[in-house]
Amino acid sequence: MTIAVAIKDLEWKYENTTQFALRKVNLEISENTFLGIVGANEQGKTTLVSCIKGLIPHSFNGVYRGSVEVFGQAVKETSGLHLAREVGLVFADPEAQFTAMTVEEELVFGLENVGYDINKIRERLEWAAEVTQIGNLLDKSPYDISGGQKQRVAIACVLAMDPRIVIMDEPTSMIDPLGKQFIFDILRKLKEEGNRTIIVVEHNIEQLAPLSDQLALIHEGQIVKVAPPDEFFADPQSLIAQGVYPPEVAIFAGWLHSQGYLPDASPIPRDLAEAVAAAQTALKMGSG
Amino acid sequence: MTNGPDELRPARLLIVRGMTIMAAESVPVGVRAPKMRKTLLGYVPIVSPFYDYHPVTRLAMYIFFGVAPVFIDLPEVNVVLLLITIGLLLWGKVDLRRLRIYLPLIATVAMFMFTMVFIFPGQDPSYTPIRIGPATIYYQPVFFTFASYWRLMAMLFGTILYFSTNRERDMLVALRAIRLPFIASYVVGLSIRAAGMFMEDFRTIREAEQARGLDTSAMKLSDQAKLYMMYLIPLFSIALRRADEISNALFARGYTLTGQVEGGGRRSDYILNQYQMTTKDWGWIVIFMALFVAAAVAQYGFGLFRLVNSPLNIYLRSLLGIP
Repeated sequence: MTIAVAIKDLEWKYENTTQFALRKVNLEISENTFLGIVGANEQGKTTLVSCIKGLIPHSFNGVYRGSVEVFGQAVKETSGLHLAREVGLVFADPEAQFTAMTVEEELVFGLENVGYDINKIRERLEWAAEVTQIGNLLDKSPYDISGGQKQRVAIACVLAMDPRIVIMDEPTSMIDPLGKQFIFDILRKLKEEGNRTIIVVEHNIEQLAPLSDQLALIHEGQIVKVAPPDEFFADPQSLIAQGVYPPEVAIFAGWLHSQGYLPDASPIPRDLAEAVAAAQTALKMGSG
Repeated sequence: MTNGPDELRPARLLIVRGMTIMAAESVPVGVRAPKMRKTLLGYVPIVSPFYDYHPVTRLAMYIFFGVAPVFIDLPEVNVVLLLITIGLLLWGKVDLRRLRIYLPLIATVAMFMFTMVFIFPGQDPSYTPIRIGPATIYYQPVFFTFASYWRLMAMLFGTILYFSTNRERDMLVALRAIRLPFIASYVVGLSIRAAGMFMEDFRTIREAEQARGLDTSAMKLSDQAKLYMMYLIPLFSIALRRADEISNALFARGYTLTGQVEGGGRRSDYILNQYQMTTKDWGWIVIFMALFVAAAVAQYGFGLFRLVNSPLNIYLRSLLGIP
């Protein structure tokens, strides 16, 4: 499988700081897979995705060591314009990425930058508006819509550019529960399409885990664990110790394992349906 | 995929000259359809006959109504221009009640100008003193101030007309249509946005302070002035942060200062492409530009709009016996 992102011995220290925000990070992300990145606050999650997007080192000053390659091209040596075609980044604060007067202008801005013609722009605009259901917002100012709508506009702006890698940095951090659900619906749809590499930084592990092919844990600037979700949650206590609270179902399954109610080989459930199945197995083992 | 939580129900959109207008059908049942919509700089009508005209035509109209009074000293002409502007606001379906926000400005400017000319009339032996009770005013500076005030009012209402019938997007389209480099029009757009955001941040800070019990009405004027100075600190730090964010956003979206796309060539302009100039537009542009040039030539070439030609001035001078 093609490697979409290859990070080798990456270290980064922001200007005027004393400690490295990232330390000896090594990570490979395969093309068209879904990677969830979790970790407590201030551990380096946003810094890591900024390195993949190229904001670091292009837009920030600091000490940069190691390398980040996107589809074989070193990010450090690649222009921002080229990176914009390959990697799309949805910021945690959607307003931070708005630069235009209306939602429609916001959407077409990136498309104009990467050189699409008018027909292609129209086509991409309509597609992105439909996927994120913002067709009725196109004429509005991006600053005069609700938080959930802003986040959908921010996602639409990135999707419209059709990047091969889509990064979302805490896309649900500023919205209500229903709005969060809607964002995860979009993520689910993108994953089902299967033609993009998706990287999502998110605290909402309950909803992130079922979508993820791999989960990565960042702690103190280092990637301390990368594994499929069932392996990732195999030791809930170690996750809690590193500031990440696993899904309740994983904790429950972990307890069942520790008490011998589940066989060691049984996978850790990621959602309620899998947890019910695990509980049924445990009941059978208990009664047997 | 489910509907998002933010929609009330699907909105129907109207497209008028590239301007998508939210129709009344998108408003929840039982709620009166709004006639005006907010922009970063004020309010514009949702439906207006102005939208039948290209933004460049509206810009040409602004250049005439908003700038031409610079050439015109005659208060009579400026009052006529002002009345035409008010007529155009009405024709353009602008809700004049929204313009009440400008009343303090209109009153303050008048107060400031006439107070200044009363206190500091200047010194000229040719000035004609007029005694009003214990006070003395001088005819020439007062009439000049009177004429200047109406000139300012004509320009102000010309500007209000423009900002009340053009969204930010229309302004940018007009600038791009007259071949202003994209970077320049983009900077204008960001500046307009920054002004709106600055005001919003200011309001947020004020509300946060009021929420914590600050009562500015109980403060002395000097303390209020100090308070306003203190607002500058958070406002500037927020502005710097926003500038940083915008810079990152531009990088993330592949923006380059040259406006060139990868592999060379110019970037497309989707929004500009949605607007088309018609013969009617060209006709009005020619008329407004001709009027603008005519006003300049009439003033600087023939002195037609000088104060000495003002019928009101002539009448008052004869009334007061001023040669």
